[in-house]
Amino acid sequence: MAPDDGSGAAPMLEMLGISKAYGTVQANRGVDLTVRRGEILGLLGENGSGKSTLMKILFGMVRPDDGRIVLKGQRVEIRSPADARRAGIGMVHQHFMLAEAMSVLDNVLLGLPGKGAWPDRRAAAEELARASRAYGLDLDPDAAVESLSFGMRQRVEIVKLILGGAELLIMDEPTSNLSAPEVGALLAILRRFAGEGRSVVFISHKLGEVLELCDQVVVLRDGAVAGRRPVAGTDRADLARLMVGRAMPAVPAAPAGPPGPVRLAADSLTTGGPGIALSAVSLDIRAGEVLAVAGIDGNGQTELAEALAGLRPARGRVRLDAEDLTGRGPAARLAAGLAYVPVDRGGTSLVPGMTVAENLALRDVARPPFSRRAWLDGEAFRERARERIAAYGIRCAGPAAPARSLSGGNQQKIVIAREIGRGPRALVAVQPTWGLDPGATRFVQDAIRALRAAGGAILYVSAELEEVLEMGDRVAVLHAGRLSRPVRRAQLDLVRVGLLMAGDRDAWAPEAERLAA
Amino acid sequence: MSGRLRGEAAGALLAGLGAVFLALAVGAGLILATGRDPAAAYLALFGGALGSPDRIAFAFNKATPYVLTAVGVALCFRAKVINIGGEGQIALGGLAAAWVALSVPLPAGALVPACLAAGAAAGALWAGLAALIRLWRGVHEVLCTLLLNFIALLLVAEALKGDLGETGAGFPQSPLLPAGAWLPRLTGTMHLGIGLAAVAAVLGSVYLWRTTFGFRLRLVGASRAAAVYAGVSPARTLVSVMLIAGGLAGLAGGIEVLGVHRRLIEGFSNGLGFTAIGIALLAGASPLAALPAGLLFGLLEAGALAMQRQVGVPSSLVPIIQGLTMVFVLCALGLRARRGGA
Repeated sequence: MAPDDGSGAAPMLEMLGISKAYGTVQANRGVDLTVRRGEILGLLGENGSGKSTLMKILFGMVRPDDGRIVLKGQRVEIRSPADARRAGIGMVHQHFMLAEAMSVLDNVLLGLPGKGAWPDRRAAAEELARASRAYGLDLDPDAAVESLSFGMRQRVEIVKLILGGAELLIMDEPTSNLSAPEVGALLAILRRFAGEGRSVVFISHKLGEVLELCDQVVVLRDGAVAGRRPVAGTDRADLARLMVGRAMPAVPAAPAGPPGPVRLAADSLTTGGPGIALSAVSLDIRAGEVLAVAGIDGNGQTELAEALAGLRPARGRVRLDAEDLTGRGPAARLAAGLAYVPVDRGGTSLVPGMTVAENLALRDVARPPFSRRAWLDGEAFRERARERIAAYGIRCAGPAAPARSLSGGNQQKIVIAREIGRGPRALVAVQPTWGLDPGATRFVQDAIRALRAAGGAILYVSAELEEVLEMGDRVAVLHAGRLSRPVRRAQLDLVRVGLLMAGDRDAWAPEAERLAA
Repeated sequence: MSGRLRGEAAGALLAGLGAVFLALAVGAGLILATGRDPAAAYLALFGGALGSPDRIAFAFNKATPYVLTAVGVALCFRAKVINIGGEGQIALGGLAAAWVALSVPLPAGALVPACLAAGAAAGALWAGLAALIRLWRGVHEVLCTLLLNFIALLLVAEALKGDLGETGAGFPQSPLLPAGAWLPRLTGTMHLGIGLAAVAAVLGSVYLWRTTFGFRLRLVGASRAAAVYAGVSPARTLVSVMLIAGGLAGLAGGIEVLGVHRRLIEGFSNGLGFTAIGIALLAGASPLAALPAGLLFGLLEAGALAMQRQVGVPSSLVPIIQGLTMVFVLCALGLRARRGGA
């Protein structure tokens, strides 16, 4: 694991004095970054700390205002992603650059440089098979990419870059959508890659993964390097402090309030396709209680949330306090006091092209104060926006700023300000901290805790066990469309939760008995 | 919202004006290539369009169906609905207006409103039909609106062969409409239509920016998933925006028949509905900007013959300039999209 830096060979990469400003915002200021051969470098930082800009500069997508890039001792000018690939830099984006309808092998062929119009398929197939074995990728060259899971697609991206001759891999938040076993496999692949004298830049929010995988960590804050540490000489608290510029307060144990009456109840929710079919999911959540739902992504989380919010047809009943919401549409359920924070910020809970003020009113335009009869009240939009911007600390240029100009954390603050600011009786939140940095995560979780303290009933869905344990008064597991019996956090058996998440048949057997009873 | 409203129209106008100037510049090159003087040609063109009250009236009459139809198409664009059925909606609007004028005995004061209402209703029905086909059978609206155009044109031709046709006329046309059905004129030749078009442009803009309906329409256009999440029905929005667009196009057809021809003539729609799509693009899908954009096209067409007569530059230069304008507007849109994506 030790970086091979004593041999006197020039480092794989040196970025020296990189600066870049967008208008008045200084995204990078004099950043120095060195990646040695055989090293995995963790790049940490909150959203908006300048990680993305720095990597876009390295990959030729953005031109720096100032600074130099030196690759293996050679000064290079990277003007485009094509330049970067020729120089041996490969980037795995959060959104994959794959031709979905084509096979794995075809996608690899597309990534090979300089093969002209008649690439040698057989040679490429052999290389792919060799790499697949060497790195333990387990790829079927003839499988269509669209039939592959997220984790397998990521491997296609990686092998495409490896066979294309990449010596430096940039991994942009690669574990955001992976299950725990997939994360383990990915880390093993990256280690093997680096073990051959090549290098990896690993961009992440997740301190645990960085500590487990990387050799060195560089932390960016406000566009500048806040610190550089060998992993051996640091810990979570140290890194978190470097990221936010202060020590992270410990998470307070949620006070156990007196259990209120049942507020949000669902009885035998059952859905058909598309997606995972829910089979007879029942739950009830009391006032002032958080029911946290654990489970690996894609086991019916979205389906459950949408069935509750009225966005997906489902059999079974839904009740909020004394009101029967069964069969009502999303607008009626919203009006009854059911708020919903869906996982997709890019196009569902937020409209990037609309203004901050419009996004804050998104689901409430038909009601005062935003409109009277059918007439919009522009002043009410601005007034509400100014108030929410101040109350929730949304960093933006003002009510009229387009939502796309905000960082991910501030975008999510808009969603939270809208859904919780309305004062709902119940909230369904799916991965509300997805892709957020620690500061924004704390903000969102605190807002949800405040709703709980005010007597709201909350369904909190997360794929991260840590978060489930932090937020849930009771915890249930969703697997293949079935929901396990909720258990109080104090009585939680983590081994059993893990088995339930993995779909272990013996763990689920008592659940089936309960459902049959 | 008023700042937004004005900013929106101004931004669209700026891109549009740039495109118009570029098109005129390329047009000047073409005129030079034919050995004539571009300055003289353009002077004749705009002099011809603005030289006398009659010429201006002609330009305004030309612009009326463009503006009305483009306002509807622009609203459709905002909802990401591509309505290219303006042509058929205009044709049926004209047919319905002529039918009411010739067949329904109404007192003089009520006849014009009744005819125009019938025209708007026919256009709305035709567009609504396309929306329903889209919703029930999943046929994309580009296809159904396009194909319904041909059916509408054939329906007009068929009506003129039957009861509505003028006996003994050498051309498929209806008899002259009764004088009570003629659209009142503001001046010698300028009819009321441009006033209606201006009102439609303003109301369209108010609808889009200042009502909950307009907000929902923009929301559906921006993100279907977000609209559903906000409790807005994309299906209902599709139907309502198509009804509005069809109604405006049908109204334009009725105005053409009552105000310009005073009878129904086969082929009177003459591509107006298709040109209006380009005008809506030139206006940056802003209903308010559709007014100047439509007026510009009307002016160019009004001046074309004068240019040909006085300088000898063929009048077909005007459609070339119109086409180039669209090309440059699309280039600007493409550039903006690419910059927005980076």
